[in-house]
Amino acid sequence: MKIRTSRFGEIDIDESKIIEMRTGILGFNKLNRFIMLIHEEGSPFYWFQSLDEGSIAFITINPFLIKSDYDPEVDDHTIEMLEIEKEEDIELMAILTVRSDPARMTANLRAPLVINKQKKLASQVILEDEQYPVQYSIS
Amino acid sequence: MLILTRKMGEVITIGDDIKVIVLDIKGRHVRVGVEAPRQTKVYREEIYQMIKDQNQASSQSHFNHIDDILTNFKGIIKST
Repeated sequence: MKIRTSRFGEIDIDESKIIEMRTGILGFNKLNRFIMLIHEEGSPFYWFQSLDEGSIAFITINPFLIKSDYDPEVDDHTIEMLEIEKEEDIELMAILTVRSDPARMTANLRAPLVINKQKKLASQVILEDEQYPVQYSIS
Repeated sequence: MLILTRKMGEVITIGDDIKVIVLDIKGRHVRVGVEAPRQTKVYREEIYQMIKDQNQASSQSHFNHIDDILTNFKGIIKST
């Protein structure tokens, strides 16, 4: 399946890798299908590219790489909604905000993307735990 | 906006499957219970707005030099 994106031009998508949002990214609720594309080989950064709106992509990172003691509690509703059967099915990604001053790059640890790797279902979850900031400085 | 007056313990029903229950009133604080289907996410407005704004900002991380920033940055990240 071919998709036109602003960032990558026309890309050929392996349909088995399409991630379906069970509840959308807040403010982008109409975007239901995404694909994860690595920024470049060996990079910890992944683009979360919308397939519905080619101009929308989020840059994300595994939050444990930037905060090793990150220990979010994913609520039961989300577990059920994403059809998660075991902990190993879960992949978490934090959405980054890259500003013109690279030192001000932040990660949203309060509302990670929770992805069921096996079933390719995802949701953005707002954690109840207030200790995790929306703008976690990673420099 | 529809405005309703409710007493403690009374309920507002929205559509077929959302119920809002006034659980407790103490001074300026009202405790509210919400029953909604799983797919309907319920948030405090402030945090909802905060995350939405942040997502908006994140989606605009499309600077021309983003590649350089990300490439330089990956060296800084402490892998664990």
